[in-house]
Amino acid sequence: MKGNSVLIVDDEAIVRESLRDWLANAGYDVATAETAEEALETITKRDFSVMVLDVRLPGQTGLSILKEVKAQRPWIRSIIITAYPSEETTREATRLGAIDYMVKPLAPDDLERLVRETIESVGKEPTVITPPKAPRKAVAKAIEIKKSVVVSKQNFKSLVNNLIKTMDVYGVKARQGKYVYDNISNANELVLNYDVTVLPPTAYLFPPRETILKFKLGDTAKPEPVTNKTPRAIIGVHPYDIKAIEMLDEAFITANPDPNYIARRQNSLIIGVDNLNPSPKSFAPSMGTHIADNGFDLMLTDIGTKYMVTIGSKKGGDLLKKYVTVAEPTADDIAKQKAVLDEAQTKYQLHLDVPRERLPKLLEDSYDDVYWQSRSETCLSCGSCVMVCPTCFCFDVQDDVALNLKEGQRIRQWDGCMLVDFAKVATGENFRHDKASRFRHRIYRKGKYVLERYGRMGCVGCGRCANACLAEIASPLEAFNAIAESWQAKQAAQRILREARPESELYAPRPAQLVRVEQLAAKEKVFEMKFLDGKELGHQPGQFVSVSIMGIGESPFGVATSPTRKGSFEFAVRNVGSVTNAIHNLQKGAVVGIRGPFGNGFNVKALEGKDILFIAGGIGLFPVRSLIQYVMDNRKQFGRAIVLFGARTPAERLFVEELATWKNDPALEFYETVDRGTPDWTGNVGVITTLIPKVQLDPRKTMAIVVGPPIMYRFVIVELKKKDLPDENIIMSLERRMKCGVGKCGHCQINGVYVCQEGPVFSLAQLRNLREAV
Amino acid sequence: MKPKVAFFDFTSCEGCQLDVLNLTAEELLDLLAAVDIVNFREAISNRSDDYDIAFIEGSISREAEIPRLQKIRAQAKVLVALGACACIGGVNCLKNHLPMEQALKMVYGDAAKNYDTIPARPINAVVPVDFYVRGCPIQTGELVKVVKALLLGKKPDIPNYPVCTECKMAGNICVFELGKTCIGPVTRAGCNAICVTGGRQCWGCRGLVDEPNKNSEEEILKKHGLTPEQVVEKFKIYNTYVEAKK
Repeated sequence: MKGNSVLIVDDEAIVRESLRDWLANAGYDVATAETAEEALETITKRDFSVMVLDVRLPGQTGLSILKEVKAQRPWIRSIIITAYPSEETTREATRLGAIDYMVKPLAPDDLERLVRETIESVGKEPTVITPPKAPRKAVAKAIEIKKSVVVSKQNFKSLVNNLIKTMDVYGVKARQGKYVYDNISNANELVLNYDVTVLPPTAYLFPPRETILKFKLGDTAKPEPVTNKTPRAIIGVHPYDIKAIEMLDEAFITANPDPNYIARRQNSLIIGVDNLNPSPKSFAPSMGTHIADNGFDLMLTDIGTKYMVTIGSKKGGDLLKKYVTVAEPTADDIAKQKAVLDEAQTKYQLHLDVPRERLPKLLEDSYDDVYWQSRSETCLSCGSCVMVCPTCFCFDVQDDVALNLKEGQRIRQWDGCMLVDFAKVATGENFRHDKASRFRHRIYRKGKYVLERYGRMGCVGCGRCANACLAEIASPLEAFNAIAESWQAKQAAQRILREARPESELYAPRPAQLVRVEQLAAKEKVFEMKFLDGKELGHQPGQFVSVSIMGIGESPFGVATSPTRKGSFEFAVRNVGSVTNAIHNLQKGAVVGIRGPFGNGFNVKALEGKDILFIAGGIGLFPVRSLIQYVMDNRKQFGRAIVLFGARTPAERLFVEELATWKNDPALEFYETVDRGTPDWTGNVGVITTLIPKVQLDPRKTMAIVVGPPIMYRFVIVELKKKDLPDENIIMSLERRMKCGVGKCGHCQINGVYVCQEGPVFSLAQLRNLREAV
Repeated sequence: MKPKVAFFDFTSCEGCQLDVLNLTAEELLDLLAAVDIVNFREAISNRSDDYDIAFIEGSISREAEIPRLQKIRAQAKVLVALGACACIGGVNCLKNHLPMEQALKMVYGDAAKNYDTIPARPINAVVPVDFYVRGCPIQTGELVKVVKALLLGKKPDIPNYPVCTECKMAGNICVFELGKTCIGPVTRAGCNAICVTGGRQCWGCRGLVDEPNKNSEEEILKKHGLTPEQVVEKFKIYNTYVEAKK
């Protein structure tokens, strides 16, 4: 890097270009970027001493990239420029590490002076209020968080030896050609240029075994929580392990704060060291964990005979103040630090083939990939991968009672999802019994579940599991890349243009003839159709078709007949708009266009053997009728069939003759009601929910099929929950605006779901996750 | 009323019973406060046929041992297998690879005709077993754990995962990484990986886990330089009986 390189990021050409010319004339090496994204891309490729960054940019804001810039190239000094100054942005910019702030319009010579001063003062941190004059002078009070100082290696050793006198000190030692964390009794035992340790330092925050409660047996049992607050220092923690600790912080501290973890965490000093000698199995840069700018008390970079030490907390600053002489870093020190970090980054041999942000979606789409089965074949279920993982934190809890049988302790110890019995319950059922599902679960935790739950990657790329796995299958990187490859291959295969075979009839309807029309109620008619080519519709109960009247338009209608009734199919239409009006005007013999069937329909296989409770409100009866007919035509395959039907008034009852046959059919339990009665109506009066309490149900074997106006669902669900029906057993068909029927046009979308593809039939359990649904 | 406990030995080195005596004085006193030991040939001279819990050391390798064991089973409310020989057959089963006459001759020479022998087997091949205290020798800690579970009327928490899990918890460097081999990846844990921690390797004395991935383990052993014969040998030492039964 040239010491005078500047990157200007501004979307206004006039600002960008004038600043570029001015600085270039003044002898700077200038590059420009128009957007935040472009700036990041540029910074990934080359280095700069200073970045001049506009706040308001199209797309991502300028501030939003500061963090990433800091992670990638912590030494770049950022100067923020904006035409919209506010206290809040200033504060935010400073927090994110910007060193100065200028308001537009700016005088180019002012900016040039600031850039020059910034470059000349390299090493100066924004938070240092008074730069010390003599470089070797001990810093007494000016130590500030995020400041870097220089400490000789000898001095650091004396700091460690002083620490040993006051607290438990753990650090990295060499053992049998490998590295391990262990108790340190003399600073000379420390090895800080190691590659990776066998067990992670997180074992000191969440130990393999610990007592969480002490208790006495018997009625007076009053358990006493046990925590460990022994002060300790953990020395030599690599950035990826610091990131792992931050992840554990989320898991243990955020919800239900864990007293045992917090006691240890609050009493632990974390002294990190940059990893200049990465393990061949590590892929930390791909996970963004090769550099840590938070989460430590002190962070060392080995720059030869001394350490560059970044102060990460007041505790860390106090430590330096108390025990050692520090010096301000010279320009050489800074350059050396940058050089060693740059070199370290080139040493990583393994890389993720996709951006890590894509992993959750990628995994979600690959749940059924054959990879899980094939790759887990050699898994020993030995637990090594999860035991050595710094982000794994699952545990088992056991009681240990003393032989006198009077007192005991409750102990938690490491457990792991890769072990055979991890998800086994007392009745003997094991919810993750096969190797493949355990293998997949672990990779999903690493790339998806933990990230979604705690906002931090579940894998920090340390490579320990890959070292520990004798079957050589444990590396999440390998799994991520394999899944990415198979996914990309699938996508590519589908996308190769010249091999793409269009469905020419995707939007073109098939001609069908109207063979019968029947008026059902004032505004409702049913239409019986036959395809001109004599073919069947080939549908499932609950699917829908799109009916076209050329020149008017196309509308979706649920198929109202069962596929068991061969030769033709019916759909029923309430006359409410242009297309429905045109359909209502059709005469017998007319030809219309039909596309479909579309959607998922009712899963009739899953309903077999069950009691079926049909709840149809108004024209909700149309799609329900297809399933009622199906059940009647395959009567032996189902348990009880109970039909509840509600109409607003007796005149609005639909399929009146069919209702009468249902009522008299002993194979069917039929109840109906109307919201408002008339003098000649002798049946039930009341909304449909009043029928539900009248029916005796076995909640374990009853499947409720609910279709009706949107308002009906909420009340029906309440009644069904009173009957203890599980969410999985409440099946609904949703009405949404469906235009294309083939998952493209977007009208029917509920959150991320296309109703025409994944619906219209959903269980309540599915809908619980779709907040727009009911 | 304290439960009455009896120890019995069959074909074995009696090292597991000896280990019972290796309990600390405090543990022994606690144990004696909790149970009455009525039969323990290695420690006391009294004998009694009235007992509730029987600990059995040793495998069954002579016809005469079968009715003796059955009689103990009939008396004991709870029967516990003590050590590798009783639990899985153990090293005694190595002779099962030879014709019995040849085995007798190898051991007793000309006196072989005075002895009889049958292929060795774990005690659960003869009578039902309620609990197992595994290992060669047993770990006293686990014995105490099983006794406590018996007294509390609960199932002892004996792991069904491989030794690797505990070996990692112990912070050990994998023996494979040190150029050696072991069958810890398929052997039932519960020993806290004592052998590896002590600088040795796992020979499978606690028997295999319920669902060992033996194919994978064999491939791994071969990859680390073992011949197919050596792989067989690895499993033979303690697990001959289980292997033969498959």
